[in-house]
Amino acid sequence: MMTMRNLLLLAIALALLVVVPPFLGLGWQNMLVNVLIASLFALAFNLLIGQAGLLSFGHAAYFGVGAFAALHLMRAIEGGLPFPTPLVPLAGAAAGLLIGLIAGYFATMRSGVYFALVTLAIAELFHSLAPQLEGVFGGESGISSMRMPWNGIVFGSMIEVYYLTLAWVLVCGLALWAYTRTPFGRLTLALRDNEQRVRFLGYSAHTAKVIIFTVSAMLTAVAGSLQAISIETANYSLFASNVSAQVVLQTFVGGSTVFFGPVIGATAFTLFSFLVSDLTRSWVFYQGLIFVLVMLYVPTGIGGVIQHHIHNRRQLDWRNMAGHYVLAFVGGLLLTAGVVFLTETVAVLFGEEYARARHSAEGGLPPFDLFGASWAPSGLLTWLLPIVLLIGGGALLIRARRRISTIWDRKGPSSATAAEPLLAGGAK
Amino acid sequence: MTATPTTQPALRLAAITMSFGPIEVIKGVNLDIRAGERHAVIGPNGAGKSTLFNLISGLFAPTSGEIFLNGNSIAGLSPHLINRAGLARSFQITNIFHRMSVFENLRIGVLARHGVRYGLFRPVARMRQVNEETAEVLARVGLESRGHDLAGDLTYSEQRALEIGMTLTTGAEVILLDEPTAGMSREETEKAIDLIRTVTEGKTLLMVEHDMGVVFSLCDRVSVLVYGDIIATDTPERISANRAVQEAYLGEEAAS
Repeated sequence: MMTMRNLLLLAIALALLVVVPPFLGLGWQNMLVNVLIASLFALAFNLLIGQAGLLSFGHAAYFGVGAFAALHLMRAIEGGLPFPTPLVPLAGAAAGLLIGLIAGYFATMRSGVYFALVTLAIAELFHSLAPQLEGVFGGESGISSMRMPWNGIVFGSMIEVYYLTLAWVLVCGLALWAYTRTPFGRLTLALRDNEQRVRFLGYSAHTAKVIIFTVSAMLTAVAGSLQAISIETANYSLFASNVSAQVVLQTFVGGSTVFFGPVIGATAFTLFSFLVSDLTRSWVFYQGLIFVLVMLYVPTGIGGVIQHHIHNRRQLDWRNMAGHYVLAFVGGLLLTAGVVFLTETVAVLFGEEYARARHSAEGGLPPFDLFGASWAPSGLLTWLLPIVLLIGGGALLIRARRRISTIWDRKGPSSATAAEPLLAGGAK
Repeated sequence: MTATPTTQPALRLAAITMSFGPIEVIKGVNLDIRAGERHAVIGPNGAGKSTLFNLISGLFAPTSGEIFLNGNSIAGLSPHLINRAGLARSFQITNIFHRMSVFENLRIGVLARHGVRYGLFRPVARMRQVNEETAEVLARVGLESRGHDLAGDLTYSEQRALEIGMTLTTGAEVILLDEPTAGMSREETEKAIDLIRTVTEGKTLLMVEHDMGVVFSLCDRVSVLVYGDIIATDTPERISANRAVQEAYLGEEAAS
């Protein structure tokens, strides 16, 4: 059951999402639209991996299909079709359903690695076919359209697009949440746990998996159409493997075992790229690093960690632990600073610009600017600083981690039960 | 050789063979399981008992021969169709949904019986009939107090009880239990025998069992499977007195 506290938290989050954006700048509004779209994409994707235990490496296909379907409908509206613009994502949903049904029928014949490879191949098929199909995908340049006014709403400003996106994401998110509570939602979890037993209980596992895949593809396509509405254009690069990979990263970093985990991951990554991509060209590297670290040290993701703490909040010695968490945080910051400094230094030293500087200095090693200071490549401080940061931060983090885990070990038995409704699975 | 019985058998195996490549594991098995009887299949390791169960329940299709459930051919059908035709099985190695609650483990099967297999438009919490029946099965297998715990957290014998409970949920009239007491202590075995006796009341039971004690206290008839062939089918008393059976077992279990 949904507790009062959860309901209250949800209401507050909703109120903030409705009230705050008009006061934000255009860039932030645009960022929020991207957060919402990425969140729906990740939630729909997680229906497969988090709940059914099926890892799709080709969800870009359904995202792209949704975007193109929406754009075709928008062009028809431009041409005079009396269709309400706010309902354009329905076109994406229909296309996603159809393509998902066909692709899912074949992909779900296999499980595990083979399933992942088939989904990957299907996405690649779209990626290589799209530039050839001028009529459907607009060739290499893609297709564009304009949002047409409807019922007095012009859809000219970003905030209008934001509210439209918010409405669709909320409806689809709620539908996905409701899904987990239906008989079929429970069967989905059973499939993840033990497909063979499901078959011996009178269910056709293949039929069930096709339905799950189709629902996931359909909602992914809705996310794709929302993006099409937002940027009014799409081309074949939507089918690229990095789009498929991005949603995998976001979902796992956010936590695939928790229902809202993918939203956390999608928000974190979108925010990160919004804030950092202008500052450094190495931001993709940092993204990858974050993913690797999360997988190594907190495989249940950010959401899994949060949920673990919430479940055990009564058993934990918070007063004793808080100091160690602060220490761990400081250690993490120092470590991050060291990594960033080293990465940026290397990026500068091996960059084109520095090569030119070296050329004009006739092969010497001229000093370079970083973080508002000048550094000598052969200077001791240039290399000592990151090393000290790395070692200091690492030592701090390791110490704090050890203390924290002893406190965790001392706690009483966990109060977590399988009845937790927000759970997609039992995060341990 | 087989006299036609007056009533139709619940389960009939007719000249079943099964080959994995060149190796014939089941060599023409004929067996009639009467409706309402409790029937055990015993035999040394590697005799093909599990393979026989896998053939009946649809995990494999037989190489040749026919299988009839209440007179209808089920050989080669997929497991879910065989289940819907009225046959359910348990597994030798516990085969449950580890990361779901005990209650939910049982509810999956109850939902299947109610035909809401792919229901997407109503919360399962509001399906009163389904939840009541699930609670009933939960009580029957003695796991009332464990309903909300994760199935993976149950003790071994509790998991075995859950395994039997899941087999009952789909409402099948023919129940196959694969070594339900394997790995249990004496005391746990006693409880398991009582449980199996009560829950299979009025149903047809076919079980693989190593423990002759279990077979004696539970079963009406026993078939002995040796090297993919049934060498004898009779009451437990007559089977344990059978010379050929004793030889096949080399005095191991039947003689004890």
